[in-house]
Amino acid sequence: MSSTATTRPNGLALFILPSALLFALFFFLPIGLMALMSVLTGNPVVMPKVAFTNRHYARMIGDPYYLEVIWTTIRIGLVTTLVALLIGYPLAHWMARIKSRTGHALLLMAVLAPMLTGIVVRTFAWMTLLSDKGVVNQTLMSLGLISQPLKLMYTETGIVVGLVHIYVPFMVLTLTGVIGRIDERLEQAAENLGASPLRAFLEVTLPLSLPGILAGSLLVFALAISAYVTPILLGGFQIMTLPILIYQQISANFNVGFAAALGIVLLMISLLLVIAYNRALGLVSGQRELQ
Amino acid sequence: MSTSTSHSPSFATARQATPARTAAAAWPYCRYLYLALNIAILVFLLAPIAIVVVFALNPTPFIQFPPVGVSLRWFEKFFASRDFMHALGFSLEVAVLTTLSATLLGASAALALARGNLPGTRLIVATMLSPLMLPAILTGLALFQTYVLLDVGRPTWGLVAGHTLVTLPYVARTTLAVLHNFDTRLEEAARNLGASPLRTFFEVTLPLIKPGVLAGAIFAFIVSFDQFPVSLFLVSPGNETLPVTLFNYLKFDLDGTIGAASVVSIVLAFVVVIGLDRTVGLRSYVKL
Repeated sequence: MSSTATTRPNGLALFILPSALLFALFFFLPIGLMALMSVLTGNPVVMPKVAFTNRHYARMIGDPYYLEVIWTTIRIGLVTTLVALLIGYPLAHWMARIKSRTGHALLLMAVLAPMLTGIVVRTFAWMTLLSDKGVVNQTLMSLGLISQPLKLMYTETGIVVGLVHIYVPFMVLTLTGVIGRIDERLEQAAENLGASPLRAFLEVTLPLSLPGILAGSLLVFALAISAYVTPILLGGFQIMTLPILIYQQISANFNVGFAAALGIVLLMISLLLVIAYNRALGLVSGQRELQ
Repeated sequence: MSTSTSHSPSFATARQATPARTAAAAWPYCRYLYLALNIAILVFLLAPIAIVVVFALNPTPFIQFPPVGVSLRWFEKFFASRDFMHALGFSLEVAVLTTLSATLLGASAALALARGNLPGTRLIVATMLSPLMLPAILTGLALFQTYVLLDVGRPTWGLVAGHTLVTLPYVARTTLAVLHNFDTRLEEAARNLGASPLRTFFEVTLPLIKPGVLAGAIFAFIVSFDQFPVSLFLVSPGNETLPVTLFNYLKFDLDGTIGAASVVSIVLAFVVVIGLDRTVGLRSYVKL
């Protein structure tokens, strides 16, 4: 970093203004309005008599159905995060440690390819794999392993599989960065002193990569609880999550106030996760500075 | 950790010592297990994409596995469909407009942050990257409510503004990365040799940050083209983006047309990524 940070802002600082305007008008104002709508009895533009109310929040807390929806959302998020971590870690470790440049580029391609395929397309792929007449059931039945198709779609399991596939690249990329910064010689030293590769991994690499595990998990969890397409298509409108409920309140009930209140709850959960994510990544760079 | 190279030879000799040998010998299958596990994970990641291609080429009207043949009928149906073609055109239009605005705004913001001596840079950067972390569905919901309150309808510019919000962070991040990496003395040298600040910018700074801006622009295009949650709230009936049209189609039909449409968007993304790799290399923008 340059040492010029002590001087006053110069002409180039003005280049921030267009983005600042965009964020003010299309990000902060809308979110502020959403917060406002969540405590109003109706739309202040079309309804002349609008008062403040806490009824949208009271409805959410008072009705076990909505608490159940919030819990389902969090449960799907937690399972998705755990599976994404278990799947993402080995791949991230391989990517961070592979010596060949071509190998690294190919792995990176393999991780990025799903990321660059739209969410709707990937969810469609999982529908063809998991449906009653889908690839998985047809294959298992033709092999004679099962006589009835397994119920894979329209279940939470199906949703989790789809979500893991969509968000595991984020886990891999976060972990690769962190594992790559761990000095490989520490692992080698442990092995030279007689530790098995497994023990060297468990006692050296794994503890050092904990901030990455935390950061990746928080990121995947934040993304998973805000997913809409995958839960609705793989859940077949039968499993209700917070984002599905929010959209339903707008499209079917046109209850903007209640949708806003649900949105604020989702926003608060996400904000907490973002702050924790930044703390976790801060831990990584903190460690680096200490070395 | 000491970084002096004098330690390396001692490590090398230590590797030949007996304890290491026994440890390695006790785990002969460890390496194979590790590779097998990783290959299984790669199959999990890539197989669904391959499956989509298979179904796009399979001629049966229902999802059938194993496939019975190869035909292009679903591609014909896709390209003959007015709805899909309109959606594809609209998606491309929105993606191009979004790329332009996100690149212009994101790159200039990055320039201001890296060179403008602004106070509170860390906070501004965190704010600018926040649309990436906060649920995009909330960005869509909040914008939708604002447009309803202000009674502006659902204009294309409103959709482009929403897309710009969620793509600008990519441009800002890639541009900031190059700006932090390059030697500011090059700019100083140009100034010392008598170039005006404007000339320095166009002849030194701009060519140097071009790869970062380009990478961000390409990423913005792909993200906008595939964007769903923001579009869901902001499109108007009859004027939908391709992902929204695909989603609505998927709710009722599961035939090869979706496969064909998917292949078209996958091919588009790959063309763009290969372009990205050719121009700047993939490594430069995946640093998290």
